[in-house]
Amino acid sequence: MAGLFAVAILVYRGANRGLIIGLWLLAVLATIALFRYHVTSPLDLSF
Amino acid sequence: MAAETDVTAAGQPSPPLTEERSPLLSTLVYWGAHAWMLGYTVVMLMAFSVQFLQGEYPCPLCMLQRYAMILSTIGALWIIMQARRGELTTARYAQALGMGVLAAVTGTSVSMRQILLHILPDDQGYGSKVLGLHLYTWADITFAIVVLYVAIALMLTSKAVPTAPAIGSLGWKVSTGLGWLFLLVVAANVVAIIFLEGFAWVLPDDPNGYNLIEQLTGG
Repeated sequence: MAGLFAVAILVYRGANRGLIIGLWLLAVLATIALFRYHVTSPLDLSF
Repeated sequence: MAAETDVTAAGQPSPPLTEERSPLLSTLVYWGAHAWMLGYTVVMLMAFSVQFLQGEYPCPLCMLQRYAMILSTIGALWIIMQARRGELTTARYAQALGMGVLAAVTGTSVSMRQILLHILPDDQGYGSKVLGLHLYTWADITFAIVVLYVAIALMLTSKAVPTAPAIGSLGWKVSTGLGWLFLLVVAANVVAIIFLEGFAWVLPDDPNGYNLIEQLTGG
C-alpha cells in the first residue's frame, strides 16, 4: 500500500515516465502475488 | 513511387492521419477522468465508513480490491496530471487508460473470487450489505464500469484527448482539490493497513482487530 501511495505521489509531482510505469507494474505484480498467496484452495462448487 | 499515405488501394486520396479534436469531447473526457477518480475516492470512503462506523474489518481480498481500485485510479490521475501540464498526447492517454483497465481486470479477478466463495445457497456472504449487495459485488460492478468507460474513451481518442481548463480557473481548482482528496484517501489506506497488519507481512484470513494495537499493547 505504501508503494501505491509512492506511485500516486510520483504521478502527482510529474516524475519520470519510466519510473512511474515501472513502479506501477511492480505494484500490480505485487497485488497479483498477494492474491495468489491468499487463494489457498479450489472453490468447492459442485451443484 | 508515391508515398503509401497519399492514396488508398482504390486510388482515392487517403484520409489525414490525425483528425481534428473536438473541444467539447476533450473537456468531457478530462472530467470523465475526474469522475473515475472521484468515484473510487467515494467508494473507498464508503469502505472506511463500513470499517470504522460499523466495526467490520476488511479481509485480505477486500484490501486487494482496494489496491486494484487505487492502481486503476492512478491511471486516471496520470491522465489528469499530464493534461494539466500540457504533456498529454494520444499515445500517452491510451497508455494511462491501459493502466486503468489492467488494474480493473486484476480487481475483477479478486472480486469474482470473493463472489464465488459465497455463491452457494444459504451463504450469508462476508460483511454487511450496501443497497442489497455486498461490497465485493459492488467492487466488481465498478471494475466493469471502468472497463466500459475505457472502451468508450479509446473509441473517442481520434476526436478527444483530455484538455485541462485554464490555470487558476474554478475548474483547475476543483481538479486540484479532487487530486488531493484521492491522495489523502490513499494515505489513509496506508495507515489503515499498517494498523490492520501490525508487524506481519500479510493480513490474517479473517481479521477481528487491529494487529498493531494488539501487538504493541500485548493484548
